[in-house]
Amino acid sequence: MVQDSSGWLKTNRAGRIALICLPLVFLALIFYYPLLRLFQEGVVEEGRLTFRYIQEVFAEPYFRHVILFTAEQALLSTLLAITIGLPWAYIFTRYGFPFKDTLRSLTIVPFVLPSITVAVGFILFFGNNGHLNRLLMSLFGLEGPPLRLLYSLKGIVLAHAFYNAPIITRMVHAKWERLDPAYEESAQTLGAGRVRRFIGVTLPMLLPSVMTGAALAFIFCFLSFPIVLALGGARFSTLEVEIYTQFIVLYQHKTGAALAIIEIVLSLLFTYGYIRLEGRFTQELEAAPIRPTIPLLRRRLTLGKGTVWLFVAASGVLFLGPMVSIIVDSFTREWAGRTVLTLHWYSYIFQPQHEALIGAAPLRSVLNSFQVGLAAMGVASLVGLPIAFVIARYRFRGRRGFDTLVMASLGISSVALGAALLAAFLRPPLQLSSGLVAIVLAHSILAYPFVIRAVVPALESLDRRVVEAARSLGATRLQAFRDIELPLIRRGLLVGAVFAFAISLGEMSATIMLARPELKTMPVVVNDLRAARSFGGASAMSCLLILVTGGAFIIIERFGERLFGGERWSR
Amino acid sequence: MWRRLLAIAVIGTAVYGLTGIGAEKLVVYTYSSFASWGAAPYIEEAFEQDRQVDVEFVATGDARMMLAKLIAEQEAGKPGADVFIGVEAGDLSTALDHDVFVPLTEDDIPNLASVRQDLLIDVTNSLIPYEHSYIALVYDSEVLAVEDLPRTFEALLEPTYENMIILEDPRTSSVGLAFLLWTIHQYGDPEYLEYWRKLLPNVLTVTSGWSEAYDLFLAGEAPIVVSFSTDTAYSVIEEGSNRYKILLPNSQAYRSVYFMGIVEGTQQLQLTKEFLNFVLSPQVQERIPSTEWMFPANRETLLPVLFYQNAVFPPDPVMVAPEEVGKNLDRWLREWSRIVVGG
Repeated sequence: MVQDSSGWLKTNRAGRIALICLPLVFLALIFYYPLLRLFQEGVVEEGRLTFRYIQEVFAEPYFRHVILFTAEQALLSTLLAITIGLPWAYIFTRYGFPFKDTLRSLTIVPFVLPSITVAVGFILFFGNNGHLNRLLMSLFGLEGPPLRLLYSLKGIVLAHAFYNAPIITRMVHAKWERLDPAYEESAQTLGAGRVRRFIGVTLPMLLPSVMTGAALAFIFCFLSFPIVLALGGARFSTLEVEIYTQFIVLYQHKTGAALAIIEIVLSLLFTYGYIRLEGRFTQELEAAPIRPTIPLLRRRLTLGKGTVWLFVAASGVLFLGPMVSIIVDSFTREWAGRTVLTLHWYSYIFQPQHEALIGAAPLRSVLNSFQVGLAAMGVASLVGLPIAFVIARYRFRGRRGFDTLVMASLGISSVALGAALLAAFLRPPLQLSSGLVAIVLAHSILAYPFVIRAVVPALESLDRRVVEAARSLGATRLQAFRDIELPLIRRGLLVGAVFAFAISLGEMSATIMLARPELKTMPVVVNDLRAARSFGGASAMSCLLILVTGGAFIIIERFGERLFGGERWSR
Repeated sequence: MWRRLLAIAVIGTAVYGLTGIGAEKLVVYTYSSFASWGAAPYIEEAFEQDRQVDVEFVATGDARMMLAKLIAEQEAGKPGADVFIGVEAGDLSTALDHDVFVPLTEDDIPNLASVRQDLLIDVTNSLIPYEHSYIALVYDSEVLAVEDLPRTFEALLEPTYENMIILEDPRTSSVGLAFLLWTIHQYGDPEYLEYWRKLLPNVLTVTSGWSEAYDLFLAGEAPIVVSFSTDTAYSVIEEGSNRYKILLPNSQAYRSVYFMGIVEGTQQLQLTKEFLNFVLSPQVQERIPSTEWMFPANRETLLPVLFYQNAVFPPDPVMVAPEEVGKNLDRWLREWSRIVVGG
């Protein structure tokens, strides 16, 4: 069954089969078995197949509304993300300015920044009584808050745009800067104005990457959980929030499972659509030289540049406002009617005493987060490495099936994954003695695709003759891997592992489904404190999370920029 | 470096885990406001004194969320709590139907003899009242002048109050449930749904718990919140301000009684009885007005003068009978969700 098409690797057959099967067996146990249990929960009752719960969901107007609202907010969020992301792609392509590279690399931040911290930042900054409204009120002497964004669809859409615009920018810019200017130039010589040129020539050429970016953003927004939970209130519920509510708040596992099944089917369809879209468009990538840019700072200010500056300032407020608010609120406290500087909130989050709002000591969650993060990093690397090896090295019949099986987890939402692990591992027959292990498994499943993405290019770029030389000198395949390939893909593996750690540290959605109070991680505690409106503590813990994930981001940027640039980027 | 970090994390966790061992533990589930700024800190400290016991409050949500958690754990055979504080009258029948609480007598809880008779709604005494108040609207007098107040349920629907009201979700919050029941009492079933449909444009947000709603209100996010008729006492006594005032729509208020109980299956029956008796003792009940901002259940407790002067004692409180609630609750909540979340 396994054939070595290139013939340059004389691997022993059993070894190869083991390498293909081992990750599959492991995934079967930690991913496919839980999914099966979740489906069982939703469609099996007293040993008989029943679609009662699925039907009940579709028959209930409330749930139908939730499903439609999920799609509606995702669509609006995607449109706003394009509206913000596209001009940025233009600015990056057309202008040169200081710190451009830094700014451009920051577009990867949404992948590592925990979204619950974004939600907290939005409440602090955009709330009716938040920093922005207070500033505007004192500047213009207003009576009431001029911007009413929170507690409505607007707040959710804006926060999602914050998160997804950088993805659009990243993808479109990568395409745009390598677009051959010859087409636009010929349109110009034919007399087309700037707007005509953009609409008639540039946009159609960019459309594939805009579409791919938009599809990805849509999936992210459709499956977004912490932002909707924190900013929507009880009146704005999406599928993710509803699954969480049914399982964790109302304890209606059957209905929750039925909703999760519906969501999984939908999200797998979307993911399949996205992959098809991506596959269709990537071949078209032309390798034109990078376009020249105009300096934004020097020379005189034109109308175009003025607009650009205005846009930069507006996005600056959107992106920096929430983050600065978190930092400010973590170091300040109301004291006798005045705002004073304090380290109180930091000592609060490191306190080892029991805190009722969390149900455990805050320090415990900090320790849990690091413990789970390190363990998930290890497991994700152990799962991802052999899969990456198979993807980069082996061609065999059933390879497409293998790819699908190992990548399917990308199409499952975190809350649904948490629900599945809850059904599989927190009750017999495979009940784990420690709930912490279930959380580690959830994080590993969410993180291993990132390890694969980091390692595969490293393996592919490796000169195969090095391995061959080692083999001809008498090394076994394993020895060749250990002594030759492993050291050479070290950077890729490091990036993948750090990515896995960062994802685990920021993960809230699956964890909240699995964590008893003493197992809570930092993002879950941020959410608890947010719900209790204890924003000082929530801000301090958010800062800690941002600091650690920011460190991870620097490592990823330094070692992995070539791996994560451009079009072939998906989650 | 990772290995060293891992080692530090593991050792740290182990050392930390070991420090908790020692005294007997009594786990009390309650709602977040009881734990964070209610009576919990005092009860914990006072009860632990002279006893070899470690009282641990768990309050990761509002009352109804915690009750659902308790029932689910009980049904899974893994009870996590010994005592539950915070079953509101609206949930009495749900709680009793699930048999999660131990029936008690005056022999078990001597202080039961001093509890106001009209609060003893549960004849089995599985659930014992410890405080009560009245659901009303609280408003910010710096934003709403006296002449601008919505004095009736109908007035609350007027467009001038757009986005001015903060409500609690009746699925998770006992206060939210009480307000829903109040509208049902006022308009009848199913007419109350029409009322909610019209009310929505004036609702800023529906929070999952009371703490969140009241904090939003204090933060100035909206000038009207559904809360308790005793809240003025809080702002006068605690903040020296009469900025936040009570509004009784149609001159009514909805009666709200809070109960506690011993969780079936506890390993420490004697200790839990002692604990409940302690909560009903004058020592704790005296502090209910100034920590919980509610009326104590013990009729022998003297109210602080300022509390007595400022807490509003509505003349004509209303309430939907617990049996009636028990029969219809699931349907009412479903219908409410359709209107408010799906509307």
